[in-house]
Amino acid sequence: MTPQTFFRRKQRLMLLTLSGLLVSYAVASIALGFQQGALLQVQTGFLWMAQNFLPTAATFKLLPAVLFQLWRAFIIATAAAGVAGLLSLLLAVIGAKNLGQRHVTVSFLIRGFASVLRNIPIIAWALILLFSFKQNELTGFLALWFMNLGFLTRAFLETIEDFDTGKLEALIATGTSRPVAIMQGLLPEIATPTVEWLLYMIENNVRDATLVGLLTGTGIGFLFDLYFKSINYPAAGLVVAVLIVLVISLELLSTHIQRSLT
Amino acid sequence: MLTVTALSKRYTPDKPSLEAVDLQADVGTITAVIGPSGAGKTTLLRSLNQLLKDDEGQVCLDDVDLRQLSKRDLQKARRNIGMIFQNYNLIDALTVLENVLHGCLGAKSTLAGMFAHYTAEEKQEALKLIDEMGLSDFAYTACKHLSGGQKQRVGIARALMQHPKMMLCDEPIASLDPKSAQMVMTILRRLADDKGLIVVVNLHQVDIATEFADHIVALNHGRKVFDGVPADLQAAQIQAIYA
Ligand SMILES: Nc1ncnc2c1ncn2[C@@H]1O[C@H](COP(=O)(O)OP(=O)(O)OP(=O)(O)O)[C@@H](O)[C@H]1O
Ligand SMILES: [Mg+2]
Repeated sequence: MTPQTFFRRKQRLMLLTLSGLLVSYAVASIALGFQQGALLQVQTGFLWMAQNFLPTAATFKLLPAVLFQLWRAFIIATAAAGVAGLLSLLLAVIGAKNLGQRHVTVSFLIRGFASVLRNIPIIAWALILLFSFKQNELTGFLALWFMNLGFLTRAFLETIEDFDTGKLEALIATGTSRPVAIMQGLLPEIATPTVEWLLYMIENNVRDATLVGLLTGTGIGFLFDLYFKSINYPAAGLVVAVLIVLVISLELLSTHIQRSLT
Repeated sequence: MLTVTALSKRYTPDKPSLEAVDLQADVGTITAVIGPSGAGKTTLLRSLNQLLKDDEGQVCLDDVDLRQLSKRDLQKARRNIGMIFQNYNLIDALTVLENVLHGCLGAKSTLAGMFAHYTAEEKQEALKLIDEMGLSDFAYTACKHLSGGQKQRVGIARALMQHPKMMLCDEPIASLDPKSAQMVMTILRRLADDKGLIVVVNLHQVDIATEFADHIVALNHGRKVFDGVPADLQAAQIQAIYA
């Protein structure tokens, strides 16, 4: 193979991938009969949204009620991620293949359990849990918690399996027991990615909490639903606006924390 | 004194990585283990503190065969054996002081170890060792910010925190520049001379081995092919070892 043919082959592969992506849209639009004409009107659509959903002076009277629900969504999001995070870390330490877990089945079961939990959509969790816990905040908390448990266990497993176990061995060589070596050697080294995952999870939970609230009839999601169905669009717009502000602040906060950790 | 008798180890049934190796190392001496890549140097060293098990033979430190010990007693015995590595194996996110203090985790209860509860004397001693290694300006610096030579000195301080009788060093200078390498070897020499430690060190460079060691053991394909003082190691033999 000459360099020319090697790079030509790479370029061809790149072109093929790009055209494949475009073809997938073409196939979908033909098969599903997209009314592509509507795309040309997109600016009028946005204009309508901007006019109707823009919070007016009157809606700001609702701000305290909206902020109260936002606060509740935030603490539920944080609590779910926090409690799930602790258990996930424990499961990941037990299940990680590089920390001396000799029983392949244990590792496999924890991995499988986490995958199942994680891959059930949050909506499905909420609907399933509604049966037993009825319409209240606990249902929303549990839905987030189950999903978080699966997601974080997977994330922590991968983080731990990237860890260089030579460091652990160095501590064990000093006569330290394995649990102490894990506590003093592994945890400090994975602290940064662990905190990053937790912050990401909280952010994600705030978004999901809205969706879950729609179904469980609680919290910020319920408020949005209420305003929307009573055609109070500016108030619904206010809910969306404060959510965006919260999520962006969380994002900024997490970048700030990440920077100070490294 | 360290006495190794007929030590064998195979990872796969057909190919031995160590075959009936005998070895003696006295207090206050440096034993250098040399040999080509894959000769079994790391395997030998890791058998000396039983990080590698399932071997055959005897590894006696002061007449106690480490291979016969229960899990708990082996843990205790390991407190007497310090170890340093080519890639240092420090906890990079923690400070120099914390890494050095890790050397006394083995002597603590599980609970005290879990929560890193160190006494005032231990902290004082760690600071003294850090000072001896010329790192007093870095006591509160995270190890990830240190150079290779500095990291290796932290590794040595962590091992000394154990009050070891023996020090195992797996290619401690292989990743270092010549100046740092000299410094680390000089420190090891001092540990043998002043503190009477048994030092066993794997090396790639024969010239460093002859310069610093009292005793050289050469391995090839898992077998011992030379055992003697540096002066006895002739050019022809060196060629044979690395052939
Ligand atoms: N975990 C393992 N599984 C299987 N074989 C191994 C393992 N570790 C080492 N070996 C084999 O055992 C032999 C000795 O390896 P060892 O690492 O002790 O050599 P070494 O002398 O330290 O080499 P180097 O100078 O490259 O570090 C080699 O043939 C190697 O392939
Ligand atoms: Mg080696």
